[in-house]
Amino acid sequence: MAGLPVRCVLVIGSGPIVIGQAAEFDYAGVQACRALREEGCRVVLVNSNPATIMTDADMADAVYLEPLSPAHVEAIIARERPDAMLATLGGQTGLNLAIALAERGTLDRYGVELLGTPLRSIRLAEDRQLFKAAMESIGQPVPTSRVVTDVGTGLSFADEVGYPLIVRPAYTLGGTGGGVARDRDELAETLASGIAASIIHQVLLETSLLGWKELEYEVLRDSSDTCVIVCNMENVDPVGIHTGDSIVVAPSQTLSDRDYQRLRTAALHIIRHLRVEGGCNIQFALDPRSDDYRIIEVNPRVSRSSALASKATGYPIAKIAAKVALGRQLKDIVNPVTGMTKAAFEPALDYCVVKIPRWPFDKFPLGDARLGSQMKSTGEVMAIGRTFGFALLKAVRGCDIGRDCLTGGPQEGWSDDQLDDVLSNPTHERLFALAECLRRGRSVRSIAELTAIDPFWICEMEELVRTEELLRRDSGDVPLAQAKAQGYADTTVARLAGVPLGALRDSGIGNAIAPYKMVDTAAAEFPARSPYYYAAVGEEDELQPHSRADASAGQAVVVVGSGPIRIGQGIEFDYSCVHAAAALHEAGMRAVVINNNPETVSTDFDVSDVLIFEPPCVDEVESAVRATRAAGALLSFGGQTPINLARELHARGIRVLGTGQQALDLAEDREKFDSLLMRLGVARPPGRTALSFRKAREIAREIGFPVLVRPSYVLGGRGMEIVYNEAQLAAYAQSAPPIRPDAPLLVDRYLAGTEVEVDAVFDGEDIVIPGIFEHVERAGIHSGDSMAVYPTQNIAPDMERRIAAVTETLCAELGIRGLINVQYIVFENELYVIEANPRASRTVPIIEKLTAAPLVAAASRIALGQTLSGMGLARGLWSRPDFVAVKVPVFSFAKLRRVETALGPEMKSTGEALGIDTTYAGALLRGLIGAGITPPPPGGGILLSIADDEKQAALPIARAFVDLKYSLYATPGTWSLLDLHGITSKRVAKIAEGSPHVVDLIRSTGVHLVVNHASSSATSQSDGYRIRRAAVEAGVACLTSLDTVRALLVALQGQSNAEIAVRSLRDYVGGRNRAVLAQ
Amino acid sequence: MTALRAGIFLADGSSFEGVGIGPLGISLGEAVFFTGMTGYEEALTDPSYEGQLLVFTYPLIGNYGVDASVRQHRSICAAGAVCKRFSRHPSHYRSSGSLPDWLGKSGVRSIEEVDTRAIVTRLREAGTMHAALAVGDESIAQAPFALRASAQLAEDTPALVRAVSRRSRLDLGAGPPRVALLDCGAKAGISDRLSAAGAEVVEVPFDTGPKELLGLGADGFVVSNGPGNPADLGLVIETLREVIALGTLPTFGVCLGHQLIALALGAKTYKLKYGHRGANQPVRICWSGGVMITAHNHGYAVDAASLPDGVEETMVNLNDGTNEGLRHRTLPVSSVQFHPEAAPGPGDAGYLIDDFVRSLASR
Repeated sequence: MAGLPVRCVLVIGSGPIVIGQAAEFDYAGVQACRALREEGCRVVLVNSNPATIMTDADMADAVYLEPLSPAHVEAIIARERPDAMLATLGGQTGLNLAIALAERGTLDRYGVELLGTPLRSIRLAEDRQLFKAAMESIGQPVPTSRVVTDVGTGLSFADEVGYPLIVRPAYTLGGTGGGVARDRDELAETLASGIAASIIHQVLLETSLLGWKELEYEVLRDSSDTCVIVCNMENVDPVGIHTGDSIVVAPSQTLSDRDYQRLRTAALHIIRHLRVEGGCNIQFALDPRSDDYRIIEVNPRVSRSSALASKATGYPIAKIAAKVALGRQLKDIVNPVTGMTKAAFEPALDYCVVKIPRWPFDKFPLGDARLGSQMKSTGEVMAIGRTFGFALLKAVRGCDIGRDCLTGGPQEGWSDDQLDDVLSNPTHERLFALAECLRRGRSVRSIAELTAIDPFWICEMEELVRTEELLRRDSGDVPLAQAKAQGYADTTVARLAGVPLGALRDSGIGNAIAPYKMVDTAAAEFPARSPYYYAAVGEEDELQPHSRADASAGQAVVVVGSGPIRIGQGIEFDYSCVHAAAALHEAGMRAVVINNNPETVSTDFDVSDVLIFEPPCVDEVESAVRATRAAGALLSFGGQTPINLARELHARGIRVLGTGQQALDLAEDREKFDSLLMRLGVARPPGRTALSFRKAREIAREIGFPVLVRPSYVLGGRGMEIVYNEAQLAAYAQSAPPIRPDAPLLVDRYLAGTEVEVDAVFDGEDIVIPGIFEHVERAGIHSGDSMAVYPTQNIAPDMERRIAAVTETLCAELGIRGLINVQYIVFENELYVIEANPRASRTVPIIEKLTAAPLVAAASRIALGQTLSGMGLARGLWSRPDFVAVKVPVFSFAKLRRVETALGPEMKSTGEALGIDTTYAGALLRGLIGAGITPPPPGGGILLSIADDEKQAALPIARAFVDLKYSLYATPGTWSLLDLHGITSKRVAKIAEGSPHVVDLIRSTGVHLVVNHASSSATSQSDGYRIRRAAVEAGVACLTSLDTVRALLVALQGQSNAEIAVRSLRDYVGGRNRAVLAQ
Repeated sequence: MTALRAGIFLADGSSFEGVGIGPLGISLGEAVFFTGMTGYEEALTDPSYEGQLLVFTYPLIGNYGVDASVRQHRSICAAGAVCKRFSRHPSHYRSSGSLPDWLGKSGVRSIEEVDTRAIVTRLREAGTMHAALAVGDESIAQAPFALRASAQLAEDTPALVRAVSRRSRLDLGAGPPRVALLDCGAKAGISDRLSAAGAEVVEVPFDTGPKELLGLGADGFVVSNGPGNPADLGLVIETLREVIALGTLPTFGVCLGHQLIALALGAKTYKLKYGHRGANQPVRICWSGGVMITAHNHGYAVDAASLPDGVEETMVNLNDGTNEGLRHRTLPVSSVQFHPEAAPGPGDAGYLIDDFVRSLASR
């Protein structure tokens, strides 16, 4: 093989989005596919995640939406016969899969070369024991540690070295199952979960370096041994908080040149020893009181940090790593940013980058929000500024957590003790607690002692806190100008100082158009051609000259991105933004993307004509539109975040392109939407809006329980609940966020029917509806959390036609000019509208892939005034395909302690997998495997624990499992019922009955599947909750809806011993009437 | 505290107003930019910056304070510092104070709160140019005139070198081997690295003559970095020509030393448009094809095409193809354009100094 050019490469994706493995691997995968094709390779791609850009049919020569299981990938290898495989761009999933394929002999059998970093090096970096030995052999210091595979050895190591100890399981991502143990009890618990989480049941116990600085170096090495540091990054939070949960700054700010170079030299030493060919991330701990350092971790692959480093510097690590993996050398690869220098150099920055994680605790108020060595954030924002404070403020605004400055939040109401507690036991609110302490006059030194945060950062924050306090007292020109210079948005300055925005701008202190600076990898040493910008203040603008030069290319349009990945607003919206930018560019417009998510494809400067790396907030979007002299802003692709800007942008005279502001308001305003439906004679579950909880109770009495309650203008069903009686409604009122006049509470009758979902595009005359999704779980489980099947399996053709007709009527009456997503319930053969979202949805990428209907591109062109008939798209509802696809949601419960896992109307999933097959059962099985729900092995154990109201419904399910020869276990109530109906099961004691009880059974991995239908009144104290958490912690699949279980049964019954057949996306979809946009 | 007004005026007519540090008055010099993100203290004390106004491209300078042990010269050599923001609350266990305080105490006029990227863009497009850094309202008013007057003055390299070279000989370290270091404005890092490699270093003034040099009993000879135009140092070039021609004293040159050796061998040097000053310059090694990331500080370069027969180019800058190293095929002479001693910057090339010392020991 050596010397022969690689012709065909299999690229492994990272699968569904989970905490610790998110959009960054779509970004990496897309870059890799492009780089490999640039080098003339045929690319075969496999990824089970349908929401990604990388799984677009034209990203690779063959795209497989198949589970990332060794068996499925082996089948792909057998069919495609690639020469080589690239696994280092697919995250931990990719690496683990590569190891599995090597171990089962697949790679040897088919002569597949593993590109890039050799397997031996991957093992060396990933196996805690080998890694420790390797570091010691080259004299690089590692923390005192021991590798253990059982709890007892771990406890005796602790007796030797003392507490606290860090538990790091081998071969896991985002620190799953790990944590900090402060005492014997914590250690025993964390060891047990860590050993279970590791695929080789091995954890590393290491002495804690709590209070040391944490640094990361992103290194690249090629086969000729040339190494470069692309970027170093400094965590504001000290060692002890996972870097994914830390505020991170690039480049390092508090390291002297000697510190910087000492760690740089160590990083090169390590990457050379590991013989990495490609990208590598090295994490260091640095003692703030001496020159001492330790190697914490090495990741021999591209990672979340490398995505951040790429966006922070402009240096496309994944693209270069892919070329290096093919054997190209850094000195021969052109730096795409300058177009004149080479990839063998180290970027110089002339700005400061700040990353802030985005945590899901707004959706999981009862979850354990303490930050530690296990990552809990779902996404992150990045901000670029000429100073740290500037970047920090931008990052805070960009998190979409209702904050635009450091002070003035709920922390003002906290006691000193509460603040101290969060400073020393950090949560997601530590930044704001710290700011509040500063506001109260606490000294930098005392805060530094409590937090172990370097005083440098605290001093920087103190300057901002002082400005905020000054603004509240004094609205004179000097404080206003000072605040602007520090990086506060006009809107924030106006609000804090109590001056009208117009007055601030008229005075010349505020500015509707910011000057922009370029990200060029070279600190202006070389002219750059990458159109990558960030906003500055009071400095020379570099964007407008560029815009003028391009004026002849036509008008610009700004596509507003979706910000950080969070539950309810994930990578799907980035997909739509990327496609919108491409469509605008193809239509001859200048596509301008504004977004602040460093993980995503949309913030790759290759994707748009102009990338403005700024938070998608109102001032920033306004400035982007004005600075690029754009025709307006497209808000309907980035999810709810941009939609929420519509009113204010409209008020400031910015055109909302596509579906206009009035139409958006009509769809979002409950009263207006209701009266529209009434007029159209379209049913919806009876309901009304309430401005108080008392009113909500009246409405519920009137329309009858059960009711669905939720605040309006929400994302992913935040604060949504099904309430069965008045007592539950009262409990909801206690826990829900207060009702705001601009966001009243919606109270709807709850109908337990079949939910269906439609994505369509409408141009004012014609509609295109490529397909209809049917949800597997009944209404009541959030659409993002339910499995969905395309085409529908239980909807009559007449009803499908009615759905299409109602959708078209809605589009016409709402005034849609672009995308719409409508959710319906079919209940007792009647169609009810649940909601209409005048924007892209979570299912848009899936339906685009399954039907080849370019919905986003069509919507973008409609925004430019084109028509569907002009585009040559087949209109109306498209015909059904000859295959079946099932979307299966994926959760990250293992990462989130104390989070309720039972599904409900509030969305909890972080990602999804797609299964495609010729039959429903086959598609279900692939979808489930892709989502990590492995079918129980033959004869395996299944635990049933069913609440009373569903026990009868569970009987046929239990019988079916018995027929499939599974052994059943049941909790006492369920057991009695099964016994009564002659179904054999083993009785398992409740927790209150004492050990061995149900949780012991789960922990001992005596069962392969848990079916736990929760009663709606479950509390965190209940057995049900503890059963569900135990299953999560033991890594046992736990299904909480009987509808899901029925679907699993269909899959199991359809399972055959035949060889796995795999087909590419084009094999499935290509035969259909492929829609092409006429130019 | 009211901020002290200051301005920087470039020869192309552009000017930038900011906040000043240091005594009232005007500092004149060639404006050059440094792209390293750390190492401000080493840079400010690098004698190669003697008489120049140093623009930091990194906007936040002074974050880790000052620490005398990293200085490359006894005092600040740059004529002024230009930056986006100086930190007034440094944090580092080695820090003994803040950078703006040290600049002020050292009487080095400096300016902050200016758009350094705009300045750098001008220097990149038009080339390095004369500039005036004025502190205080009165000086700001006078600066354009002072700048115009100074533009007529030619650079006086011998004076620049004399200002930073040592006056008398200094013996350091243990050895053998014994290495003579010709101090044309040597960074402390060079003799530190030589000593660390096991050499006994004898630092001598730049105008030391050939007889005296040869009489030092040295096993090796290193020609240091320094400020200015190498072609103006005729005396030094003459000395080198004599020493090299003997072929008995292994010689190594760094930066200005490299250029002087090239001139002594009969090659030519020329002024670069805006020079190389930073910590990220990729250098390709001709014989191996490998690339090192190196520290640079030079405004002049050796014209590789002018290298005479018998002298080969050993290294090339990967960015712009300029010469980075040479070696004589028969005489024991080699030199590099970059700074193997780093300080500040990456240590990729430090082995060159170690290898030189080792080669002397094995002779």
